[in-house]
Amino acid sequence: MPVYYLEIIVVALGLVMLMVDAFVKLEDKRSIAWIGMLGLVVVFALLFKVKWPESTEGAFWQFYSSGDKLALYFKGIAVLTTLVVLIMAVDYTPTILSQIANPEPGAHRQAGLGEFFALPMFACAGLMWMASANNLVSIFVSLETVTIAFYIMVAYLRRNVGSLEAGVKYLILGALSTGFLVYGFAWLFGITGSMQLSEIATALAKPGVNTTMALFTFALILVALAFKIGAAPFHLWIPDVYQGAPTPITAFLSVGSKAAGFIVMLRLVTPFLASPALVGKVTLVLTVVAILTLLVGNLAALPQKNFKRLLAYSSIAHAGFLVMALASSPPAGGKISMTPVTVIAFYLGAYLLMTLLAFLVMTSLRTKIAGEELDSFRGLAKRSPFLAFAMVVSMASLAGIPLTAGFFGKLFVFKLAVEAQQWALLVFGLIGAAAGFYYYLKIAASMYLNEPAKDGDTSAITVSAPARIAMVALMIVIILAGFNPGLILGLFG
Amino acid sequence: METALTLNHFLFVSGVLFAIGLAGVLVRRNLIIIFMCLELMLAAANLTLVAFSRFNVQDGQPNYDGQVLLFFIITVAAAEVAVGLAIIVALFRTKETTDVTKVNSMKY
Repeated sequence: MPVYYLEIIVVALGLVMLMVDAFVKLEDKRSIAWIGMLGLVVVFALLFKVKWPESTEGAFWQFYSSGDKLALYFKGIAVLTTLVVLIMAVDYTPTILSQIANPEPGAHRQAGLGEFFALPMFACAGLMWMASANNLVSIFVSLETVTIAFYIMVAYLRRNVGSLEAGVKYLILGALSTGFLVYGFAWLFGITGSMQLSEIATALAKPGVNTTMALFTFALILVALAFKIGAAPFHLWIPDVYQGAPTPITAFLSVGSKAAGFIVMLRLVTPFLASPALVGKVTLVLTVVAILTLLVGNLAALPQKNFKRLLAYSSIAHAGFLVMALASSPPAGGKISMTPVTVIAFYLGAYLLMTLLAFLVMTSLRTKIAGEELDSFRGLAKRSPFLAFAMVVSMASLAGIPLTAGFFGKLFVFKLAVEAQQWALLVFGLIGAAAGFYYYLKIAASMYLNEPAKDGDTSAITVSAPARIAMVALMIVIILAGFNPGLILGLFG
Repeated sequence: METALTLNHFLFVSGVLFAIGLAGVLVRRNLIIIFMCLELMLAAANLTLVAFSRFNVQDGQPNYDGQVLLFFIITVAAAEVAVGLAIIVALFRTKETTDVTKVNSMKY
């Protein structure tokens, strides 16, 4: 099956879900989510069956890269994330319904729920397309497909001030970053005369390239992408948006949106790094951004009391490690064991596993405990040993403790920094990792060592079957990849 | 004396447009006006694209790739406005304000 059928299938699934929502009389609209989940499982299986075309003649292949294992890997990330987000969305149904209550008499009691399950599918299709985009036009269109779907999803709880506020903030800053990106694309087209990434790379590597204009273009694109990935100093929207958005969407944002930003960043920054005239200054800028992001993310996470805000700062911190990998390009002619692209792809895969696990635990708790405050995790081990253990695995991996996937993610980044002799980056990375140990393990300790709050609910917690299966699967992969990182590395060669 | 318009004239105008849009986003407090300024930034990018496309002549033809991206930008901007205005209207219904400084319920 040709590889681009996958995106078409995902879009078609989304449309089918919308049509079912509109025209089929369903007692319980949660079955719409099941259509999506089953479809995504099939798409994930099909990822291993795709065929690359023999010839890449024709206009289509100017927009879609061919024979790209890394693109398939990123498509897999998109599909898995969406699958887990749908599982969370089903568990989150009561909260959604209470916040979009439809006052009209005669309306379905779950009116407005179906779209919440269909929107992630369109974002997923955009993410998958982006993984293969090799042209400024297709990068722009796929990125915006994702972003616009996210605008709606973040602001979905339309009776909830927090969600609307998050939606407006995300909208304004997202549109601002689009403005920078498009202006950067215009200049990139101007100095290279092409929309094709391969031709852009060739043009930038020529000795006669106008460095001032090229660096100006790079600055515009970097500002736009720093917004998307949440790198300092353009990270200010992240905590508010993560806190206000519905929890499944926060998970989607922190994994899907970040992966999207990094895919685009890899594609667009690599040509600049490959140009001998530009590499020095570009690396310097990336180093500064990485150091700032590592400091801001890790230090601001220390005093947080709200779990979603904590994960928001944690996501900024992880963006810092990823930019660090990007800034550690090997010196010309130097021998390296892994390229920054490999390290970033591995890190994103590990980050997906552990972040989704943390959010799955959180959505399971959400119906049971009052808030999202860290205090509500006190004594969780007594109430639900399973959830507490899942949380410990996730936190250990996020902190980078050995025998988890997160450990190898950080290890590879540090190794890359040593090989590129980026000593300043290495120091700040180690400071960040050390701070991470404190705020991640604080939660783990509070679950096992503290008693549950006296006035709080102390009943046992039930976890829905799909969420339980997803959590077990994620834990197994995190621990297996912690013994043998080749498990993930093998997926993209 | 007549002087021909060069690429730099267009780039200058589009740069000014972009700066006005960015300044508006940073300075203004009304969400609708901020949104208009964002559109101005996209318009600046469009003007830059057309200018580069027109002056980047290959084989006697302008490089039309830039103008193709422009149409995609216009379409995407329209979709963005449709969603964006809906969100702003929903916000106005709950908070009865479009002033960004009053949209600040989330703090540490």
